[in-house]
Amino acid sequence: MPLRQRSVRNAVVSMNSVPLLSVMIWLPALGALVVLALPRQNVAAQRGVSLGAALLALAAAVGVALFFNPAHAGFQLVERVAWVPSWGISYTVSVDGISLWLVVLTAFLTPIALAASWGTVERQERAFHALVLLLASGLFGVFTAQDMLLFYVFFEFTLVPTALLIGIWGGAERRYAAIKFFAYTFSGSVFLLLGIIGLYLLHGQATGVYTFDIATILASLQLGALRLDTGAERLIFGLFFIGFAIKAPIWPFHTWMTTAHAEAPSSGVVDIIGLLIKIGAYGLIRFNVQLFPAAAAWAAPAVGVLAVIGILYAAWIAYQQTDMKRLLAYASVSHVGLIVLGIFALNTQGIAGAVAHMVNSALTTGALFLVVGMLVARRGSRELKAFGGLWKTMPWLGSLTLLLALGSIGLPGLNGFVSEFTVLQGSWRSPGLGWRYTLPAILGVVFAAVYLLHMYRTAFMGETLPELARAPDVRPRELALLIALATPVVVLGLYPNALFGPMQQSVTQIAQGTLPYLASR
Amino acid sequence: MPSITEAVPLPWVLTLAGALFCVGLFGALSRRNTVGILLGIELMLNAVNINLVAFWRYLEPNVVAGQTFALFVITVAAAEAAVGLAMIIAIYRARQTVNADEVDSLRG
Amino acid sequence: MTEIIIPPIDWRVAAQLSIIFGWASVLLVIALFVPRSRTRIIGYLAIVGVIVAAVAGIPLWGVNAETFSGMLRLDAYSLTLNWLFLASTAITIALSLDYLPRQGIERSEYYVLVLFATGGMMLLAQGADLIILFLGLELLSIVLYVLTGFAYPRIASEEAGMKYLLIGAFAGGFVVFGIALLYGATGSMNLRAIGETLARQALTPEERTYLLAGAALVVVGFGYKVAMAPFHMWAPDVYEGAPTPVTGLLSVGSKAAGFASLLRFLVEALAGEWQIWAPVLAALAIATLAVGNIGALTQQNVKRMLAYSSIGHAGYILFGVIAAGATDGVAGQRGVESVLLYLIAYTFTNLGAFGVLIALEQRGEAAWDMGDLAGLWNRRPWLAIAMAVCMLSLAGIPPTGGFWGKLYVFTAAWLAGMGWITVIGVIIAAVAAFYYLRIVAQMFMAEPAREAPLPMDRALRVGLTLATLGVLILGFIPTPAIDLVQRVVLGVRG
Repeated sequence: MPLRQRSVRNAVVSMNSVPLLSVMIWLPALGALVVLALPRQNVAAQRGVSLGAALLALAAAVGVALFFNPAHAGFQLVERVAWVPSWGISYTVSVDGISLWLVVLTAFLTPIALAASWGTVERQERAFHALVLLLASGLFGVFTAQDMLLFYVFFEFTLVPTALLIGIWGGAERRYAAIKFFAYTFSGSVFLLLGIIGLYLLHGQATGVYTFDIATILASLQLGALRLDTGAERLIFGLFFIGFAIKAPIWPFHTWMTTAHAEAPSSGVVDIIGLLIKIGAYGLIRFNVQLFPAAAAWAAPAVGVLAVIGILYAAWIAYQQTDMKRLLAYASVSHVGLIVLGIFALNTQGIAGAVAHMVNSALTTGALFLVVGMLVARRGSRELKAFGGLWKTMPWLGSLTLLLALGSIGLPGLNGFVSEFTVLQGSWRSPGLGWRYTLPAILGVVFAAVYLLHMYRTAFMGETLPELARAPDVRPRELALLIALATPVVVLGLYPNALFGPMQQSVTQIAQGTLPYLASR
Repeated sequence: MPSITEAVPLPWVLTLAGALFCVGLFGALSRRNTVGILLGIELMLNAVNINLVAFWRYLEPNVVAGQTFALFVITVAAAEAAVGLAMIIAIYRARQTVNADEVDSLRG
Repeated sequence: MTEIIIPPIDWRVAAQLSIIFGWASVLLVIALFVPRSRTRIIGYLAIVGVIVAAVAGIPLWGVNAETFSGMLRLDAYSLTLNWLFLASTAITIALSLDYLPRQGIERSEYYVLVLFATGGMMLLAQGADLIILFLGLELLSIVLYVLTGFAYPRIASEEAGMKYLLIGAFAGGFVVFGIALLYGATGSMNLRAIGETLARQALTPEERTYLLAGAALVVVGFGYKVAMAPFHMWAPDVYEGAPTPVTGLLSVGSKAAGFASLLRFLVEALAGEWQIWAPVLAALAIATLAVGNIGALTQQNVKRMLAYSSIGHAGYILFGVIAAGATDGVAGQRGVESVLLYLIAYTFTNLGAFGVLIALEQRGEAAWDMGDLAGLWNRRPWLAIAMAVCMLSLAGIPPTGGFWGKLYVFTAAWLAGMGWITVIGVIIAAVAAFYYLRIVAQMFMAEPAREAPLPMDRALRVGLTLATLGVLILGFIPTPAIDLVQRVVLGVRG
């Protein structure tokens, strides 16, 4: 009976003695359980345990990065345990050059998000920490899962903690934001599920091997064991695309994200949600481009249009915002547009630039959200016009914010420039996109400078408002957090190879897969 | 003298059963009185019995399945009527009505 | 005068049934000697009987036999379902132990009736003959009419019982008329014999008319029983009026038993006519999904919402039923498996959800409004988590049992060549997630409307924990359940 056949084992199966990836994935979840078991009143212990779990996960992620061999293109550090063998579902986790960066990013931002939330969570801090840790586990899982169904399970697993974090601790509109977030992403994910089932069945019917293993399916597709006819390929591409486009979010599916960002409880949580949306772009690379290069080449011009509209539209809306959190949320949407543009350039520069920009925008936008969180804590308002002249009372915060804003704008020498430039270069050279797409995108990047500097000027320059005359400058903990985020902004800007080196092989391999289809244009 | 199966063809009997079923169905659907509805349902079940016995007698006189089944149906119908009447009485005690339209506190 | 020869009875086949029916009768007698204040003992004894029956099934695994002239069959299919029914009965009784005295309706007959209902379900799962199917259906239904009206003198309960009885008897009339026509068409009441007759010889046009009319009537009758649109109108009212544990049993056991026998009927007797009934059932499945989920969207009453949601779930189970009949062997196999897995997941989930409602229900006071759930997270965190797990499972979100059920039925339907209903089903699942989520949001994100003490006794807690853990274990480690249902396959198709 073909259904019962076990999935074909991967070519690269290396079981290292310590399942480092699994340790990294499950440590935060374990930490969440421990935190829940702690007494309700002992807030210090709750903070200590959760931060400790996050830091241990970070250490594991660093270990993963050290063991990672940048010279290989394929999946590394593979760990595989059969989960539902009769269905060909396995617990397979591994990293390649692309997921490695997202894993490291998650590991880096989780402790920062936890520490940043101290003092901003008014009630049920225990459950709050536990949910953030669970979310981190889910994110690690999404970025390392190499089994489609496992990916989907982790993908959905991130929804519930996020919705609860927004809905329980969020701002005034929190219930609306939580339900909207959930409704949008869940609707997207059912299409994703349909695509996964379809690909699974088509692969099983064509090869007799029913498996959800991405590497196996990829090999079948590349070797011609599974030949999808154009219609089926485009259909399944489309199903995956809807799921990831809503998650990414690509214009016009972005409205859930701006509400979610604006209503998210503390700025730390926003950083985590910022990671959540990277799943969309990651999925586009991992599934849409890697598995269906022909359909990707077919769809690239149309997706490029959506991306460019997103860049310009979001930048324009961001410029008009008076609410700082919403302004940054729209800035994120604009960044997502740039990332998607890079992915669908379908060449090495485009995709590498997109991955790099995921990292960079998570760092700079995340840090700016932290800054806004600190400002809101001091003033009790998110309105831009409630601030002014902060430079005089808060020189430290002012200078760090300027650095971060310039990094986000893409000043040469800082990280944003490197990735934005690479994405634009990639899209210019791409036969599917070209200058018609790149010029408006450059305009969008210029807009970014306008709205961010507008925000900076309003809040930090001019006359100090009397309400803010005695607002304290950053405290040591806040300073440490901001410096931790600002360091990579400078370092990655000066040494971009640190960013591009590890992903080079993987990206090249994916980009090469699309070459035959782009050449035929 | 021709036997009953020769004198009366099967379709006639089936038509009778079908007609009886429809009468019962109509009764069950049109009656407002719960006792009337139960009576209609009983008619439907009786139509079934005619069918069963007819099929047994005309088609498979050697296998008793049809006949047995008719007995089961009669038994079950009796049980159902017993429970139904008990409930009607319970409702009547509480509401002083047996009219199905007036028993409508659940709606939505 | 021919001598009546009683063929030897294979008691293995009837073992579980005999235990349940025998124990129920014994309990009726024991109840006479138990003082009214200690009626709860009967409940415990009933649970003991259920456990004994379940354990008695273990050595029967692998048996494939029939008895009573092929009327009663024991195979992996029926054994799996029997276990499922016994599990749902045990949980239902555990949930009732405290509920009944709190509502002032504790009577020992309740537990006996629940056991008889279980027996009826098992008859439906084991019946290999139309007579047994009819008997099981009526036994189950008549007992459930009484149980639905058990909260006498609460008028809503009486009314619900009455309504259920009228509709149920009506549906029973359809089923039995259909059976008579099938008998006329094929000359047999045994499901396999009917299937073999249809495969062996071509029917005359007349017989074919009987066959199709009969099959249609049987499907309509079962459609009432499992609350499939457009025969679902009774369900919300009956579910709302019935005592809450009975509602749980209705939504779970009665539905599972109805589907179990419908599946056996369609696959064993009518597999050859798949081309005809598949599109009809597909249309009914879509209608059921639409009616159930759209109905649930607008409900403010949680009990009614769950009623509509359970109508909706019948639609998904129908996907599996349709696939089960597919001429393509692999798809058919997947179909049978998917129905069973879906039923397992759905049973635990729905019992858990109704268990939470039971915990919320105060003495004689309904607590089914959305507002009653507000801020449950602050009042009773574990209750809120249990409800949230059940809602996520009903919505089909991993890692819960409901997710695997949905994945299974969608895969089966796609394999059976009905990709399009899968697409519709998936889209409706996305809509449905919304109202389940509304409940979660209400529990976790709204402020408590009122501070009411919630009584929780041990039995209720155990029942609720069992159901919720079942959902979660099924979600994280689905392999044992999937292996179980995959062995079942051959039983029903063989």
